[in-house]
Amino acid sequence: MKARSFRYLIGEGFKGAWANRLMSLASIGVLVACMVIIGLALLISQNISRALGKLEQQNVVMVYMKDYSWALYGDEVEKVSEGGDQNGILPDSYVIHNDEEAKALCDKIAALPNVESVEYISGEEGLQSVKKNMLEGQEQYFSFLDEEYGNPLSSAAKVIMKDMSGFNATIEQIKSIEGVQSIKAQDDLADRINSVKKGVLVAGIWIISILLVISLVVVSNTIRITMYSRKLEISIMKAVGATDAFVRIPFVVEGILIGILSAGIAEGLLYFCYRVATETISQTLGTTDIVKYSEMVFYLLGVFLVIGVLAGAIGSFIMIGKYLRREGSEFSAI
Amino acid sequence: MEENQIDIQNIPDDKPVIEFKGVSKTYPSGTHALDDVNIRINKGEFAFVVGSSGAGKSTFMKLIMREEKANTGTIMVNGFNLTKMRRKNIPKLRRTMGIVFQDFRLIPKMNVFDNVAFAMHVVGANKREIRKEVSKALSKVGLGEKARSMPTELSGGEQQRVGLARALVNSPDLIIADEPTGNVDPNMSYEIVSLLTEINKRGTTVLMVTHDHNLVRDFKHRVIMLDSGRIVADNLGGGEQ
Repeated sequence: MKARSFRYLIGEGFKGAWANRLMSLASIGVLVACMVIIGLALLISQNISRALGKLEQQNVVMVYMKDYSWALYGDEVEKVSEGGDQNGILPDSYVIHNDEEAKALCDKIAALPNVESVEYISGEEGLQSVKKNMLEGQEQYFSFLDEEYGNPLSSAAKVIMKDMSGFNATIEQIKSIEGVQSIKAQDDLADRINSVKKGVLVAGIWIISILLVISLVVVSNTIRITMYSRKLEISIMKAVGATDAFVRIPFVVEGILIGILSAGIAEGLLYFCYRVATETISQTLGTTDIVKYSEMVFYLLGVFLVIGVLAGAIGSFIMIGKYLRREGSEFSAI
Repeated sequence: MEENQIDIQNIPDDKPVIEFKGVSKTYPSGTHALDDVNIRINKGEFAFVVGSSGAGKSTFMKLIMREEKANTGTIMVNGFNLTKMRRKNIPKLRRTMGIVFQDFRLIPKMNVFDNVAFAMHVVGANKREIRKEVSKALSKVGLGEKARSMPTELSGGEQQRVGLARALVNSPDLIIADEPTGNVDPNMSYEIVSLLTEINKRGTTVLMVTHDHNLVRDFKHRVIMLDSGRIVADNLGGGEQ
C-alpha cells in the first residue's frame, strides 16, 4: 500500500471516530471503567505484595548450632569421665568450637539461593537479648544462668528468606548443613503468606482476563455499528477495487484511537480516585506505608495503552474481517 | 502480472473483453440462475442485457464483477480468468472496470468532487492526479460546475451522472451499468445512455442492464436477452428483436 493511501486512511479513521463520536464516547466510557478496575486491581495487589513483603521480613528463622552449650545442656552428647573437659565433654562430640566456625556455618547458610540475609548471634549475645527482652527487672533471680551453670543458649543464625514459597525446601537445605542443631520457624505464617499471595495472583488474573474480554467485546461492537453505518462506503470501496486492508485500516485506526483516549482518561481518573482513597486510609489508619501513585504512573499508563491499543486494534480487525468475509464482498445489493 | 491474466491494453479489438464458456450458476438455495451460458463481448462493444425479473441478469453481472463464482464453465474478463481467481486478486479485476449502480450509491456527506475522488483514493492516486482526473470526469458528464454541490442538491439524473463520473475516473476498460436509468426520468435516461455511448465511442466497452425497451430500440447497440438463465437472443446488429 502506498504511503499516501495510508495517510489518507489514517485521516479517514480520525474522521470516522469523530463522525461516530456518540458511539465512540459510549465505548470510551466502558473501556475507561474496565481500565480503572484493572488499574485498581494492580494497585491493590501491589499494596498487598508490599505488606506481605514486610511480613516476610518479620518471618525470621532461627537456626541453632551444635556448639559447646548444646553438648553440655542437651541429652544427645554423652559425658565421659576420661579424656573430656571438666564437664566431661569431648572436643569431637560437638561441631562448632568457636566464633570462626559459627560464622563459617552462617556463610554456608547465606550461600543458599533462597536466603536473603543471615545474622550471626553468639550464645552470649543471645543470652543478653533474652535477659533484656524477657527478664528485665528480675535479673537477680536468674543470675545463676551464667554464673553458676554457664550460658545454656547455643550460638544461632538469624535467617531471612527471599521467597516464602520456597520456605520448606530451604529449611531442609539448612537442616542438612553439618553443625545445625535445630531450627525454629513460624511455618504457619509462611503458609499463610503463600496462600494469600496465590489468592491475590489468581484473583488478579481472573479480574484482568474478564475485563480484557469485556474491553474487546465493547470495542468490537462499536466498530460493528460504525461499520454498518458505513455500509454504503464499504460497498463503493469494494466496487472500485479496494483491497480488504484498505477497507479495514480506517476502522482499526478508529479502534486504536478509542483505546488511546480511554487509556489517557483512565490514567487521570485512577490517579484522582487513588489519591482520595489513600489520603482517607492514611488519615484513618495512620499508616503511610501505601504504594504511591507516582511509583506506578508509567507502569499503569503502559498497561492501559497496551490494553487500549490491543483491544482497539484486535476488536476492529476481527469485526471488519468477519464483515468482509460475510457481506463486504457483495456490493450489488446493500 | 498474474499467470492467468493478459495485458488488457494489448487485447486486440476482435478479442473478447468478456467471455463465458458453458457457464452455469446454481445458488446454495437451489435456485438455477444461469444455465450453460456462452457469450463473447469484444473490446469496444456496447451491449444491452435485457430480460424479465429472475431471468438471470443480476447473476450474469455478478459473475462478471466476481461477486459470485460460477459452478461450472470458464469466465474471462479483461484478461482475468475468473474461474481460477483468488479472493485477494479480485480488487485488481475491479480496478479494470467502472460500475454504475441503479441507486447511484453516492456518499451523502461528501460533495460531488469527493464522491468521484473517493474512487481514486482507493487506487492510491496522488492529490494532483485526483484534482485533474476528477475535473475531467465531471466535465465529461457535464457537471464541471457542480463539483462543490452535495448529492442531495442534485436531481436524480445529475446524481447518476456523478455515479458515471466516478465509474469513469480511473479510466476503466469496461463499464458495467446495472439499470443506470432505473431511477431517473425518461429524458434523463436518454442523456445517460447518450453519455455511455459517447464513452463507448472512445473505446471503452459498455455492458448495460436495462428494462427500458425504448432505450434499447432507439440506441442501436447489441442486445443480449436472458430468460430462465439462458441466452435466448443475441442481436449483434442493434435494436430490439
